[in-house]
Amino acid sequence: MSAKSGQEEYWRQAADEYGAALERLAWAYEADPDRRRDLLQEIHLALWRSFENFDARCSLRTWIYRVAHNVATSHVTRKKRNAPVFLTLEDIEAQEAPQNVEESADRQKALARLLALVQRLEFVDRQLILAYLEGLDAESMSQITGLSAANVWTRIHRIKNVLVRQFHSGGTDAK
Amino acid sequence: MRSDYLPDDLKRLWKELASNPVRISPDDLRREARKLWAGVRLRNWFVVGVCCIIIAAYGVFFFGSKTALERIGSVLSIAGAANVIVQFLKRPARTMPDFAAIECIRFYRAELQRQRDFHRGRGVGSWLLPLLPGPIIFNVAFALDRPMFAPLVKLQMAGFLMAAAIVVPLNLRLARKYQRRLDALGAAQNQ
Repeated sequence: MSAKSGQEEYWRQAADEYGAALERLAWAYEADPDRRRDLLQEIHLALWRSFENFDARCSLRTWIYRVAHNVATSHVTRKKRNAPVFLTLEDIEAQEAPQNVEESADRQKALARLLALVQRLEFVDRQLILAYLEGLDAESMSQITGLSAANVWTRIHRIKNVLVRQFHSGGTDAK
Repeated sequence: MRSDYLPDDLKRLWKELASNPVRISPDDLRREARKLWAGVRLRNWFVVGVCCIIIAAYGVFFFGSKTALERIGSVLSIAGAANVIVQFLKRPARTMPDFAAIECIRFYRAELQRQRDFHRGRGVGSWLLPLLPGPIIFNVAFALDRPMFAPLVKLQMAGFLMAAAIVVPLNLRLARKYQRRLDALGAAQNQ
């Protein structure tokens, strides 16, 4: 396989297998639809360029998520105006849940709330919870973020608890 | 406690988010990559072009100047502009950093450090500061030799000082904000 066709092959595989996950990742970093489309395009462009040097020393999935998170981080830190306010887990816990799921009684609203919470997390926490929500294992999360596996689990556990508590502030079932 | 929003369901809920994965073809990507390079090249040539104009203008001023101070100002301005060209040719702007090379935390730290240093004036100082003394000396010499232009030069200097008085503290405050985020990141890693 030549370098050029290898690059295209890897990118096609990334787009086919991880296209939806990359779109969700873009949602988690960018609320504005136009900027989100730009971010997604930036991610694909960075992936395309990165596959020139893909040496399979880590899995394709780890490579893709690392590139995607780094592009998104760069995208958000470059954004000067309307800079997002990131919250620590303690800040989020201290906030009153804006509206509980029982009142919304709607998966779309629950999804919007989950997204709003994810979008306000600091980058490290956001990267971890996104990896968790996409079903990645601790080893992969560790390779993507650079945190130790033990630290990954401790943080995931804390973030998950905060998210679940935010969803359960009402206490009764909602369908 | 409800069971439908427990963590496993959060995963299912999350996956309902993306509906239309982006459709980009390899040709689109090649085109975008070429556009990116062309944009960077255009920006570099624009900066080099502006510096060439500055050099040409102060070259003319140098030969038309009546006083030694004006000539010194012209020479310093030419040197400052030439320094910008050298900096640009020596270190051309990257189209994109190597996003795959480092883990996310190291990348994030590097981004924060880059932003912090930018707001502290590091980097910009290496090309902007050498550019300033020349025009300042030239303007002062010009005003000394032609008193009717003195109020204009004073106004120009006052405007420059006022802008510096606003911009410098504002940037230092932003640099402190990035430093706080760097500290928080360090603490998070050591937990």
